Amino acid sequence: MIIHDVICPFCGCLCDDLELECEGGKIIKVQNGCALAESTFMTDTRLPAPIRRTESGWEEISYNEAIKETAEILQGADRPLLYGWSSTHGEAQSVGVHIAELIGAVIDNTSTVCHGPSILAIQEVGHPGCTLGQVKNRADVIIYWGCNPIEAHPRHMSRYTTYATGFFVPDAQRERTVIVVDTRRTDTAGIADEFVQIEHGGDYAVLSALRAIVRGKASVIPAKVAGVSKEQLIRIAEICKTAKFGAIFFGLGLTMSRGKYKNIRNAIELTDELNRHTKFVISPLRGHGNVYGSNEVFTWMTGYPFAVDFARGIAFYNPGETTAVDILRRGECDAALIVASDPGANFPRAAAAHLAKIPTVVIDPHVNATTALARIHIPCTAAGIDAAGTAYRMDGVPIRLKKVIDRGYPDDAEILKKIYDRLNGGKGP
Amino acid sequence: MRVILESKVRAKPNLPIEAEAIIPRNFLKGTDLLVYEGNKERTLSELFWIFVEGTAVSPENIEVILKGDTSRIKRVGEYMDTGSIVIEGDIGMHCGNFMSGGTIEIRGNADSWLGREMRGGTILCRGNASHYCATGYRGEKKGMQGGKVEVFGSTGDFCAEYLAGGTVHIHGSAGDFPGVEMRGGELIIEGDATRPCGNMKSGSCVILGTVHDMLPTFEKTRQRVLPEWKITADVYKGDVANRGKGTLCVRS
Ligand code: SF4
Repeated sequence: MIIHDVICPFCGCLCDDLELECEGGKIIKVQNGCALAESTFMTDTRLPAPIRRTESGWEEISYNEAIKETAEILQGADRPLLYGWSSTHGEAQSVGVHIAELIGAVIDNTSTVCHGPSILAIQEVGHPGCTLGQVKNRADVIIYWGCNPIEAHPRHMSRYTTYATGFFVPDAQRERTVIVVDTRRTDTAGIADEFVQIEHGGDYAVLSALRAIVRGKASVIPAKVAGVSKEQLIRIAEICKTAKFGAIFFGLGLTMSRGKYKNIRNAIELTDELNRHTKFVISPLRGHGNVYGSNEVFTWMTGYPFAVDFARGIAFYNPGETTAVDILRRGECDAALIVASDPGANFPRAAAAHLAKIPTVVIDPHVNATTALARIHIPCTAAGIDAAGTAYRMDGVPIRLKKVIDRGYPDDAEILKKIYDRLNGGKGP
Repeated sequence: MRVILESKVRAKPNLPIEAEAIIPRNFLKGTDLLVYEGNKERTLSELFWIFVEGTAVSPENIEVILKGDTSRIKRVGEYMDTGSIVIEGDIGMHCGNFMSGGTIEIRGNADSWLGREMRGGTILCRGNASHYCATGYRGEKKGMQGGKVEVFGSTGDFCAEYLAGGTVHIHGSAGDFPGVEMRGGELIIEGDATRPCGNMKSGSCVILGTVHDMLPTFEKTRQRVLPEWKITADVYKGDVANRGKGTLCVRS
């Protein structure tokens, strides 16, 4: 059987044009997707049933038992942490927020280690952005800053930028100017019309210099800024000012390098300055499939996009204080529920190590590095493969993920609802 | 009147305590106050040994002394308007939030957000202060607006971010981006600083030590003698990335 228009749940592009060939409850062929999509749909390392750690190793337990024990762990905690959420659908995320509010937990999503700084910057100065469709049809100048889409978002360039034919840019390859800014010569830099190589941690200074040049204050700028020549900076500023429509995309090279959210703020203010000359937009290249959705769901339910602390019954937000990495590093939390993510692999070692010291429960379709630190692992469906649900693309467009096969696992939203019911004495959210 | 609070040993010493109730004014009516430990509400006496010496008729005569392990206690002195608090050891985050009067003295180190959105009064920190010393809250347009914060040690990153009024005096060094987004007030750093005053709009900053990675968008205008520090300093205007009219003085 061939299924058309399947959405790939892997990265923030959420490509919606895949074709899957299924046979006997198995996916046998993936078409149109990139290599990452293929491994997402084809590899499956799911446990047959929930497991619990014992003195001598792992034992299989029933779903009911696993849910009961998870509820007991959370109920008894003084500072529980609910973390993850970026690889599942909005339906599960919303139940997570309900649990956090009910038990006075801290709930955080993976923005904490990727685009949290972008959100902080947007909260300071706003977000001049647009959907990817606008970029595809209008943008004649594309800037990739601190990101390498060829590896991390393989179809971003072919669907929306460099190689995509747009309504106002019919001959994309010739009409679009691509500028890549990075500390090293990445694959993406290889296809750039202009590559700007910055010294490590020099992004802020380069952005400030560009802002000053666009403002007509080039005379103040020294001959070299963080390894970039003034001539090149002036050239870049000129390309941007004379663009019909420019779009900046940035990644972790900008959010996670020295200065963090101040880098993003500076990039947004550069975009702002350029809008005095032409139309310019800026957007983060979001990583996980539905990490943008976790921000959306958290925001409409609590008022804040990540790092929400319900310890006192009301939502409090302060990245650096209520973010998962910081809470773990300070050894604050005494129980953790990890859903649809892998902090065991992505967090700093000291933070991840604390997960092994406290009762940690993982709800994730796949066995991952966090399983090794956990007390219980509950397998579930994978959103977009054997569960349907809502996800948000990196530009904020909601897309319905499809259920393409049935493998007999319970949906993580269902598991979470049962946990909620137990915590709430049988009454649902 | 003197109120001495000595922290009791806790089963989970890493759990944060939120104790905005600890301000001198509140002790006029007794010591029956509520604080939070993690997600549980506790009475003050569950977490502290409480000793009260003497009496007071008005809050400005009340001195609160914190002893023992106080490094995880947040929000001490929040909205304080008079009286004094002395912390003998280290203090947790958000000490002196929104403070408008009175004095807080910290004999040890202070965690992040010391004197957040402060409006008046004095904070003295004898040790080091962590990140976001004398700043504002996320997304807020103004940080500290008045009063004085003096740190005898060094501070972490983003010290005096969004400073809008009052004085911040750091005897040691500041980390990355001190005075970033500054729009008023005065910042003095006797030690070193990295990338000071990024995107500043107004206000003045003096740095007596070494500046690392000076931003390219500050315009050197002249030299000036600063008699109170007995130095000659280069005077910069900026940040020209925006329409900034701030002053940054760096030892020549
Ligand atoms: S670019 Fe991203 S969403 Fe598109 S197919 Fe590849 S992994 Fe999937």
